[in-house]
Amino acid sequence: MSEELEIKSGEKTYCVFSVSEREFLLPSEAVREVVEISRIFPIPGAPEYVYGALPLRGRIIPSVDLSKIFPVEKPSYQNAKLLVVDVENEHIGFLSESAPFFVTFDEDIVVEDVIDIKSFFETYRIKGAS
Amino acid sequence: MKQSELIEYFLLEAEEHLEALHRAVSELNPSADCETAIEDLFRAAHTLKGSAAIVKLEGISNVGHRLEDILEGIKERKIALSPQAIDVISVMIEGLGGMISDLSKKKITPAETGLALIRQADEFLSNQFASVEAAPEAPTAPKMRRAISPVQAPSERPERRRADRADEGGDFYYGNFIRIDIQKIETMLNLIGEITIKKNYLVQRSREAQEVIDEITFAGDRLLKEVTDFSERYSYSFAADTPKHADVFFSGFGELEFDRYDESNIFSRKLQEITNDIQEGLKQLAKLYDDYSQDVRGMDHDIRMLRSDISETRMIGVGRLFQRFVKAIKDMAKAHGKQAELKILGGDTKIDRVVFERLFDPMMHIVRNAIAHGIELPEKRREKGKPEQGQITISAMREGNAIVIEVRDDGRGIDLDILRDHAAKQGMVKVGDDYSRDELFGLIFQSGFSTREGVDMTSGRGIGMNAVRRQISDLSGIVQVDSERDVFTSFKIHVPTTLAISNVVIFSSHNAEFAMPVTLMEEVTQLDIMDGLEAGHGAINYRGRRILAKSISDFFGSARIEDRLNKYVIVCNISDKKVGIIVDSIIGQEETIIKPLNHFLDGLSIYSGMTISADGKVRFVVNPMTLFEADLRPQFDITEQFTEDTAPKILIVDDSLSVRKYVTNFIENRGFKPLAAANGHEALNVLHENKVDLIITDLEMPVMHGYELIRRIRSIEYLRDIAIIVLTSRGTQKHRQMALDTGANDFLVKPFDETALSDVIARYVLKRA
Repeated sequence: MSEELEIKSGEKTYCVFSVSEREFLLPSEAVREVVEISRIFPIPGAPEYVYGALPLRGRIIPSVDLSKIFPVEKPSYQNAKLLVVDVENEHIGFLSESAPFFVTFDEDIVVEDVIDIKSFFETYRIKGAS
Repeated sequence: MKQSELIEYFLLEAEEHLEALHRAVSELNPSADCETAIEDLFRAAHTLKGSAAIVKLEGISNVGHRLEDILEGIKERKIALSPQAIDVISVMIEGLGGMISDLSKKKITPAETGLALIRQADEFLSNQFASVEAAPEAPTAPKMRRAISPVQAPSERPERRRADRADEGGDFYYGNFIRIDIQKIETMLNLIGEITIKKNYLVQRSREAQEVIDEITFAGDRLLKEVTDFSERYSYSFAADTPKHADVFFSGFGELEFDRYDESNIFSRKLQEITNDIQEGLKQLAKLYDDYSQDVRGMDHDIRMLRSDISETRMIGVGRLFQRFVKAIKDMAKAHGKQAELKILGGDTKIDRVVFERLFDPMMHIVRNAIAHGIELPEKRREKGKPEQGQITISAMREGNAIVIEVRDDGRGIDLDILRDHAAKQGMVKVGDDYSRDELFGLIFQSGFSTREGVDMTSGRGIGMNAVRRQISDLSGIVQVDSERDVFTSFKIHVPTTLAISNVVIFSSHNAEFAMPVTLMEEVTQLDIMDGLEAGHGAINYRGRRILAKSISDFFGSARIEDRLNKYVIVCNISDKKVGIIVDSIIGQEETIIKPLNHFLDGLSIYSGMTISADGKVRFVVNPMTLFEADLRPQFDITEQFTEDTAPKILIVDDSLSVRKYVTNFIENRGFKPLAAANGHEALNVLHENKVDLIITDLEMPVMHGYELIRRIRSIEYLRDIAIIVLTSRGTQKHRQMALDTGANDFLVKPFDETALSDVIARYVLKRA
């Protein structure tokens, strides 16, 4: 994955994925792996944007459907991929309609639609009563 | 060896010495002969000092050195074992503990801390030796005494050593022991857990294989029977038929004089032979399979043994850990002007260290309450004819795979009448209704009960008992309380001895599979139809008693009556009450590893963890305590007190019809009168015509948004004081701040939690009621 990319200083690489024609970017270093979705299990009680839980090598990855957060058309997740990201040792996944790819920009270019995973995690984490 | 590695080793050792110090210091008593305790203290301090010096931890080494000096003085009877002396020793040990704990967290202890301790010790020493030494400079004092006592270790008393070492006879450090990082054991246990899951799968698969074999054997038997029948029938009918091949050779014989074969005859014979071969093969297969499953069973047994052996390594005598309460109890009692001593029973009982670590906080809480509210002041105790010194007993006992820890004090107990009165005031119980002792005691675990002022003053218990119960339930444990007024209060905690592998029951509900630890379950029964219908009202009949019951689907608000027919009930014990969880079917029981919930899902408190089945299914572990928490807490069941006119009016402002409907329902069910508006403009109209007690508003709405609404309300004289709660999907700090600045009283984020909403409503409405 990212090891194939030669990262020059002053450049930043992003992983681009799509949900209903809309593209989102994740900093490439945050993406641990991209997996096929074979079986995904519902999480009863979770909000709509939590699509399900995917077992992956002993871990259970809660997976987020961005179409329930951003105003986009209903996506088709038939051949969906899951981008597994690491947020301070917890793993969550983002569903992507297409196979993600990597792009590199100069650092001074302002890149839009980048998901800041830390604040995403904090904002959309299911919070308890206490 | 690197310095960091050396420090690791030092930490391993230091913990043990600290424990020895804590244990021994608790035995010190000015009025008794404490020779052994002093001896133990001295030895531990000396070794600790020495080890610290080797790894160049001068701060710790120096403090240890001073401690050793004081102890030596006492040992040589040059210093009296006065209360001050004990105080100084305690302070030094506490300080050492702090420095070592900082070290383990890779924090740097400020040099001041160590110096302050040394100064304190020196002051004490110089007071003691004031007559002997004119100017006791710090380094001279130890040097002098060093010379007096170069020998120490041989005086070791065998009975003071830990039992497990005594057997070895020789020096512990050179014996057959190694130290293992607890993390390493954790890793091993996790692996064993994974193996257990795979093994379970194997057992399940071999059962399936058995079924296939049975099926084939059955088919083979049938085949054989058919073939035999056929060939017999054929040989009878054969005589009647004209032979298809008239062989000249046989013509000379009569019909019964010679066996005659034609093709079908031969075919039937062959079939029979083949079937016999198959039969034989099946027999061998069955034998092979028998051996195989015996091997699997053997392996199953071995894995169990291995697991219990490895878990055993992580188990420690619970008494060692109870020691930590000794000092805490002394200090707390002192702070409250009370006297209390700790008695430990069943200290040999083994418990998983990890379980204990997680039990420590809730236990500390119980102990703190026992001293603050349980044990009376000395005068009070004397009046009651009790010894002035209160007693707190912590005992441990093994019960199967669980450990039962009891914290008991001989204080004033819980007064059930006062408890009932308070509960009645808060709408938790109905005046005049009958409640069992257990039910009343259970009230102290309910949230909302304790937080109100006055409760802990009168009933004597409460702060955060809800949190205690929750922490224990996260360990798949339960806590029960019992008390007798002026005699005792007792908290019994049942927890599994180890968390590495849990025995769970798998059930399905709501089209998903779930797991629940067996330790929490009392019984699984089938739900009969009448009960099923009754369950619609949230309760079922269980052994002649009505207990709360609901299905997981109820929790998600999607239950139908059919959901309750032909179902099973899992009856669980949640501390004070039994509750029933209605499930679609019971899938089975298995051993598995429960993984903690991913932080992203933290708020799903009805789950205490998750598991992955051998064939890769994700199952969530249901925590019955939190599942029923909302039902157990005060329901503000004060409906009767409000008539149509007096019920507080709550206005819900939201442009989404479903939110309005939902909240309206919610409010109505709790005995309040709901009013609704779709935007700020409508809301102002409603407010104009109705006297409203509370407003719940969204922020983003057409026509007039929430901020504008709040601003307007706050600027209108007669509306100014109405409490406003913002309920929005905009959860950012910026929105929160802006809403609160504009004049909102509280801020809730969608999707919201029912209990949170309940609490907020209670806060603003019941305050006035």
